[in-house]
Amino acid sequence: MTMDDDVSVVGLMGRVTGAVGPGLVGEVIVRVRGGAEHFLAYPAAAKESISPGTLVTVLEYQPPRTVYVSAAYDS
Amino acid sequence: MPMFVGIVAGGVVATVLVLVGLFKLMWRVAEPNEALIISGSKHRTEGLEPGMGFRIVTGRGTLVLPGMQAVRKLSLDLNQTELAVECVTFQGIPLKIRGVVIFKVGDDFVSIANAARRFLDQQKRVSERVHNVFAGHLRSIVGGLTVEDMIRDREKLTGQTRAACGTEMEKLGLIVDSLQIHEIEDPTGYIKNLAMPHAAAVQRDARIAQAEANRLATQAEQQAAARMAEATRDSEILQAGYQAERDKAAAEAKQAGPLAEAGARQEVVVQETRVAELEASRREQQLQADVRKPADAKAYEKRTLAEAERDARISAAQAKAQETELAAAAEATATRATGEAEAEARKAKGLAAAEASRAKGLAEAEGIKARAAALAENQEAVIAQQLAERWPEIVEAGASAFGNVDNMVVLNGADGMADMLAKALTMGGAGLGLARQMLSSMNNQNGEVNGQVNGQVKREIQKETSP
Repeated sequence: MTMDDDVSVVGLMGRVTGAVGPGLVGEVIVRVRGGAEHFLAYPAAAKESISPGTLVTVLEYQPPRTVYVSAAYDS
Repeated sequence: MPMFVGIVAGGVVATVLVLVGLFKLMWRVAEPNEALIISGSKHRTEGLEPGMGFRIVTGRGTLVLPGMQAVRKLSLDLNQTELAVECVTFQGIPLKIRGVVIFKVGDDFVSIANAARRFLDQQKRVSERVHNVFAGHLRSIVGGLTVEDMIRDREKLTGQTRAACGTEMEKLGLIVDSLQIHEIEDPTGYIKNLAMPHAAAVQRDARIAQAEANRLATQAEQQAAARMAEATRDSEILQAGYQAERDKAAAEAKQAGPLAEAGARQEVVVQETRVAELEASRREQQLQADVRKPADAKAYEKRTLAEAERDARISAAQAKAQETELAAAAEATATRATGEAEAEARKAKGLAAAEASRAKGLAEAEGIKARAAALAENQEAVIAQQLAERWPEIVEAGASAFGNVDNMVVLNGADGMADMLAKALTMGGAGLGLARQMLSSMNNQNGEVNGQVNGQVKREIQKETSP
């Protein structure tokens, strides 16, 4: 039983299921621990607004279930 | 010896069994849907944070010292809680919302630790807690929305729910998988009224469509009925035609018997007629042979005889006629000779008379001419002379008026007689006066005419005076 047991989600790819943007509490779903879990998501860049369906990269993880994300590809 | 071996073997088996039993007591396995929370003894750097005081095991087995350590299980299963919240919208309309929240304990150790600290002994009552959290938040969320938003923009509702409850649930180590609003009860009928115009429009369209469909259906039905009637009519006409043909054929068949009979009878009559004709013919021929031929022969005989007689008579008449003709011719020749002689005589006589008359006429003409010349010189004298010359004739003419009287009574004696005679004579005097008057009137015209007129007048006088 080591620290590795609880894997980090930072750096993983996820998909937006609830709109992420300033003033909103978004939702992303990320593959982690052999399954897919959803996390509450906030934009990493303050002004960024990401619509559902967009692929994102998790840049920051705030336990227990909050992540900061940014769009994986510039549209 | 065997006994010793038996004891040793039994001991080994017992020891093994005891060891297995102990291991069973000490070894705990976490099932996929649960987390083992182990607390008690001092443990190595397990768990996430220093000072957490317990360790979390998921998905595998671990050795637990009975009596030294406590092992509790935290279910990671899905939970749900029914929501029935009475709330008021942004517009102040009271609503009753029924929904369901589906949640579970988060899979990461932080969430498990949070949840374990809060609910380990109250796992049955998690739903109740969650209900309370959601009821409060839902009221505030609905209070910020309008009914239209809730109905039409579910994303907005879930987004706001996530914003309000997500962080709160994070504290509890729970994650919300799903929030579903099943039913929005509307005691004031707001939603119904909201829907009413649209419903009415839809109903109107439906009625229009229905009416149109009815119209089309009726039209099609009526057309079909008309076609049916047409077909029926045609069929009846055809049937009537066929019936007529059948009747005709039946009538003909019915009449065929009598017709054939009549035909046969006609044939019989024809044959009988012919027989009668033949008989009549035979009879006629017989009659001809019996009656006519002899009569003809007799007639022929008579005729021949009569012709012969006639010829004889004709010959006799012709002979007589010729005889007469010859006699007549001879007589004519004689007569002509006589006539010619007579004519010559008469002609000669006539010529002589004519010559005499001519001579006389010429003489008279001379006389007249002479008298006319005299007259032209002295009319009065000539006339007077003439009158004087013919006076006895004039008196005779006047007396002749009495010549035809049988018995005359004269009332005035001898004077009366003389008077009457005088009157008769004055008639001649009056004629003289008349002649004179005429002459005088004509004298005024040319002299040539005068002579002729005088001649005429003289003749007239002569005529008058001559008896």
